[in-house]
Amino acid sequence: MSFSRASFYGFLLLAALSWAYLLLGENSGLDEFSSSKTWSNAAGFIQELAGVKSQAKPAFLNIDRWVDTGRLAYQTLIMSVLAMGMAGMAVLATFLPGARNVGNGDLGGAYSPSWSLLYYLLRVIFAVTRAVPELVWALLLVFFFSPGILAGAVALAIHNYGVLGKLSSEVVENLDPAPAKALRTAGASNLQMLLYGIIPQALPHFMTYLLYRWEVVIRTTVVVGFVSAGGLGRELRLSLSFFHYTDVAQIIICYLILVLAVDLAAAWLRRLARFE
Amino acid sequence: MPDHRRLLTLLMVAAVIWSVASAGWGGPVFHTGGAAVLGEIASALFPPELSPSFLGLALAATWQTLVFAVAGITLAIVLGLPLGVIASGAVFGPGRSSAVAIAAARFFLAAVRSIHELVWAVLFVAAFGLSSLTAILALTLPYAGILGRIYADLLNSVPQEPLQALRVSGASPFRVFLYGRLPMALPDAVGYTFYRFECAIRSAAIMSFVGIRGLGFEIQLSLNDLLFGQVWTLILFLLALVLVVDRWSSKVRRSMMS
Repeated sequence: MSFSRASFYGFLLLAALSWAYLLLGENSGLDEFSSSKTWSNAAGFIQELAGVKSQAKPAFLNIDRWVDTGRLAYQTLIMSVLAMGMAGMAVLATFLPGARNVGNGDLGGAYSPSWSLLYYLLRVIFAVTRAVPELVWALLLVFFFSPGILAGAVALAIHNYGVLGKLSSEVVENLDPAPAKALRTAGASNLQMLLYGIIPQALPHFMTYLLYRWEVVIRTTVVVGFVSAGGLGRELRLSLSFFHYTDVAQIIICYLILVLAVDLAAAWLRRLARFE
Repeated sequence: MPDHRRLLTLLMVAAVIWSVASAGWGGPVFHTGGAAVLGEIASALFPPELSPSFLGLALAATWQTLVFAVAGITLAIVLGLPLGVIASGAVFGPGRSSAVAIAAARFFLAAVRSIHELVWAVLFVAAFGLSSLTAILALTLPYAGILGRIYADLLNSVPQEPLQALRVSGASPFRVFLYGRLPMALPDAVGYTFYRFECAIRSAAIMSFVGIRGLGFEIQLSLNDLLFGQVWTLILFLLALVLVVDRWSSKVRRSMMS
């Protein structure tokens, strides 16, 4: 039996075990979802989001509320760009030594122990920063950062540094080594080889990943804002805990507009550079 | 073309400068005593909390996080695969009703993936109350949205010649799909699903924010008690879980390619 087939059955077994554990365990939700009371509560929640049950004017019909939420959305956008800027610059500085073939001589140079050591160190850093989700980084950072956009942006940047670093280094490892070796044969120095043989091939991939991660980050800004007290996330959490449901609806609409705008902008930028 | 790339670089640099300039540098970046706490957090790694009872607790939390991730990703595949197939348009002949079905599937996939799983979770908890199924549902929706979209893209980007050969030999669109598109798209689809499974582990961990048990839940408890050594242990367990899935994924992909 091939490894992939064994993995398929292994995953099926894991899935069966997981579902059994959850559905047979306490508070599975089976009872709740099969009771009509839960569904009428949910219908009531949707009505409250739409503001049909309350006498007050719903938030999404109030121009002043839109101005306030628009300002928070603008801050959220700043948070996402700041995070991408920090993560992107850190990745640009480290993705070359993070690729195995740069240090070990596969590109025609000599084997370098210090570069190989750096490679392992960076791989550990990529793995740790990537494995810990943005929200947990934010929970840790609020212990010493002042609450606000910056703390959220740093939390987003740390996680995305790991994601982008791993992806970009793997791009370098999978590149066609021929141009680099040809340059080396022609007498190019290490720096020239990287500058003309590797970076031009790797950079378009890096840009594509950066734009793709930006789409992910804008969705996550709200979640990080729950704890780092910046942008739309903070307002969403407060509105939910005060049961201001029409405010919740308005923030969600604003969030969706922001996500759509970033998706369109990223797609436009990709087309602009003909990455797709 | 190079000019456009230069324009892209310029736009990105401008965006970063704009974001740094408008980030609001009014107050202090770190709060008072922040540096001391940072030192405390860093020194707690050497060594992390390694008592047998805590390791047992961390292992149980790892299992709970894994269980939610597996449940969420399986439901996301079950939902995302048929929607992705419909959205790819590969099994339909031309016609108005199939165009409507394709547009509807694409809209649904785009809509559910616009909202982060934790935002779905806080909304669903407000609507349905807190339970395991609520959290799984919140995890499933955005993952089904992204998986469905990727499945559709992969099904549409397979090489055309083998499909043409099937068509010429008289295969129906459904058979062209079953014996042409599906097998060719499968290795990449499996690889991407594994990558999403790895992401689902992180998402399951942060479901602690709405009160679901697991690694994130224990991290929050330890942080509340300022027990940073325990936090590191839990982070190392999360790291191990993610790395195991990562290894598994790359072995499966290599075995499918050969």
